[in-house]
Amino acid sequence: MAAGAGLSSAWSAVSAALVPPAALGLDAELRAALEVLRCYGLHAAVEEWFLEVLQKDLQAHIAPEFWNCISQYENTAEEQQCSALLLDAFCLLKRRLEPYLSSMELLEGWTKAGLLLGTGAQTLREKVYTMFKAILFFSTTKPFQKMIQQFYSRTFRIYMRQWKKGEEGMNECESSMSEAEQESDTEESGGESTACTGCGSSREQCWCPTAMEQFRQLNDILRRLNLLERVSADAVTTILHRMIKERMERRCRGEYEHSFLNEFQEWIEKVLGWLSRVFLQDGPLARPSPEASSTLKRWRCHVQRFFYRIYASMLIEELFSIIRDFPESKPAVEDLKFCLERTNLRQKLLSSLKSALEIRLLHPGVNTSDIITLYISAIKALRELDPSMVILEVACEPIRKYLRTREDTVRQIVAGLTGDAEGSGDLANELSKADPVTLENGQESDDDISEPGDWVPDPVDADPGKSSSKRRSSDIISLLVSIYGSKDLFINEYRTLLADRLLHQFNYSAEREIRNVELLKLRFGEAQMHYCEVMLKDMADSRRINANIRDEEEKLPEEERPPFSLVAVILSSEFWPPLKEEKLELPEQVKEAMEAYSKKYEKLKAMRTLNWKYHLGLVSLDVELADRTLSLSVSPVHAAIILHFQTKSTWTLAELSEVLKVPVTSLKRKMTLWLQQGVLREEPPGTFTVIEEEQKDQVEKVVLIDSDEEGDSAMASQADQKEEELQLFWTYIQAMLTNLESLSLERIHSMLKMFVMTGPVVTEIDIQELQGFLQKKVRDQQLIYSGGVYRLPKNCN
Amino acid sequence: MRVKVRSWSGVASWLWVANDENCGICRMAFNGCCPDCKVPGDDCPLVWGQCSHCFHMHCILKWLHSQQVQQHCPMCRQEWKFKE
Repeated sequence: MAAGAGLSSAWSAVSAALVPPAALGLDAELRAALEVLRCYGLHAAVEEWFLEVLQKDLQAHIAPEFWNCISQYENTAEEQQCSALLLDAFCLLKRRLEPYLSSMELLEGWTKAGLLLGTGAQTLREKVYTMFKAILFFSTTKPFQKMIQQFYSRTFRIYMRQWKKGEEGMNECESSMSEAEQESDTEESGGESTACTGCGSSREQCWCPTAMEQFRQLNDILRRLNLLERVSADAVTTILHRMIKERMERRCRGEYEHSFLNEFQEWIEKVLGWLSRVFLQDGPLARPSPEASSTLKRWRCHVQRFFYRIYASMLIEELFSIIRDFPESKPAVEDLKFCLERTNLRQKLLSSLKSALEIRLLHPGVNTSDIITLYISAIKALRELDPSMVILEVACEPIRKYLRTREDTVRQIVAGLTGDAEGSGDLANELSKADPVTLENGQESDDDISEPGDWVPDPVDADPGKSSSKRRSSDIISLLVSIYGSKDLFINEYRTLLADRLLHQFNYSAEREIRNVELLKLRFGEAQMHYCEVMLKDMADSRRINANIRDEEEKLPEEERPPFSLVAVILSSEFWPPLKEEKLELPEQVKEAMEAYSKKYEKLKAMRTLNWKYHLGLVSLDVELADRTLSLSVSPVHAAIILHFQTKSTWTLAELSEVLKVPVTSLKRKMTLWLQQGVLREEPPGTFTVIEEEQKDQVEKVVLIDSDEEGDSAMASQADQKEEELQLFWTYIQAMLTNLESLSLERIHSMLKMFVMTGPVVTEIDIQELQGFLQKKVRDQQLIYSGGVYRLPKNCN
Repeated sequence: MRVKVRSWSGVASWLWVANDENCGICRMAFNGCCPDCKVPGDDCPLVWGQCSHCFHMHCILKWLHSQQVQQHCPMCRQEWKFKE
């Protein structure tokens, strides 16, 4: 009997262990047993007991066994083998855990039927899964992570490969884009056509299908054990990031001329296909659970965010080059704009662009005109990128600041405006745009925006002190002109350049100048350009007067006609910028001609006379020597020099300086032209003689012309003009110091401000300028500086 | 050696032959123009009175128009007569 009972319990134990309870129809029995337990109040402990046994089993057997399994394979170098073994380990794990999972389902069923109490807030299932994660994968070893990663990246590659093949199969006519893609892909794999691009081994041994099968199985297991997120999320994220980055580097770096957004969007869809293989049940027919599809949605979101961030970062890094290449790089700018709206990289963009500008642009090695050209394309590109213009304003502040320190900025901009500067047609085009913005009115209010719905608030980093409409007036010329804050400076510079062209270079085209002045008038206003208009009118008037006088002369009998034709440019002195004063005494014959001209002018224009600027102008003459004749166009000084050599063939520098009233040093420089032309020779130094007959055998002497001679401007330089203005202060300063003996720099400045700068001739002087001026006086020993105060030297009074 | 000047383009500035720099009425330079004008010279000429004072024509005409009873030179208060 005892043996029979022992046998039956042994049979039932074995059979219960061998097959699921439902197969033996034990459900009812189990239920009855459960009822008994309920009677004794023990049913509450069943779940607890189950969890505890599971925990103990996991800790004592399953986990060590699994990790053993994994660590055995750690040393396996062969990738193929490695992934097979990885799968084996997981299969083992699944086998071990499967009974627990089915028991868990049973217990769940009972809980649902109200037989058990449940496990509180967390369901049993959650607790079991947590335990799996906590005990099995609380910490994962490096090699294991590496294995997982290797496995997923391999399958990723194979998947992408298959996808592409499938696409190829579907439509024969591949777009050129994906062809290029293919090329770059094969290139990457070494270009060996014998190797499978998916698994990297030779075609005969391709194990792509195996790998994909392993991939499917592993995912199934992980999904079953609810370990998918824990085990593979990291690896998948890393792989995706790496792949996106790699792809981006390969395809987009340095390519600004077309947009990559769509291409990448397509690619991301492919990637998502792979992801769905990982996270969803296999097979297109299987309905994805809502949970899984929300996971997928999260992943899609993540991948896209990541792509935007990476792409935007790359474009930001290259923004300088993008700006430089604008407008060819317009697609890149548009891409960046799109990505920027979906990331928060704005601050990074600002700081990175600023530092790029400082490193690559704003240093002494760059031409001012290049800086201006880049600034112009920055205006254009950033206007596209950020219509509120805040980025432009913030990022380009360093450029503006730097340009302020360059002396030739104004000149370059003005030259650009008039189309004189080579290679910068931008500004000239901008100037002749049909609808210019007048610089006067920047005061439109926000109400002007036609559609209230179109209103967009300023970005947070905008300067609240400036109205948005002012900022949004992105007119290039007004931005450039506002570098200095005043347009007067530009007008003055323009006037100086115009005067220079009209008087010094003689190569102006009246039509073009008039057109420029008219265009500038539209921008700067009538009043500002008035002086320039008078200047151009002077030129026209002069031509008329010259024609008049020539007509007069032609009526004269032959012998009374002047020996050469003298034409004059007659200026309205008040309207021209101050001309450089240079002393020059012209030869008699020329002076006579000029006087005769003046007489005729006086006859033409009653009560007016002429004041000749002897040193300005252009003389064309023939130098007839014994064996040759030279035809040249030279300045009046040069002409005067050579005319004197007619009467005497040898002059010393001192003698010449005496008759011409030109200082020896500058005269010496002027002589070089004739030395270079081979008309004069200097022998001994300081004595010049005409070379009547060219010595053929003589080695040609190369005389260099001082470079500053060439670019000599007829106008007094800005610095000279300032100097003149400062001289006005000098009398005041002297008077002050005579009365008060000694004064500090600040006192002098404040007194000058009080007495001098209030007068009608307002000349502003800031304290730095004054200091510089006073230092100069100290150097010239007109002033003594000691103990922080200035004094007049004793002997001065 | 002989130097033959073919043409000489010189630069000169014109000025009024007057005994003063500025117009006594508008205080602008004679060589400039009166405040109402834009272009100096022919368009804004000077005129001389018999008292030898001279002004921008536009300035003195305006002055004379504003005088109700008798027309005087604003500088010397003599009766104003244009110099022939």
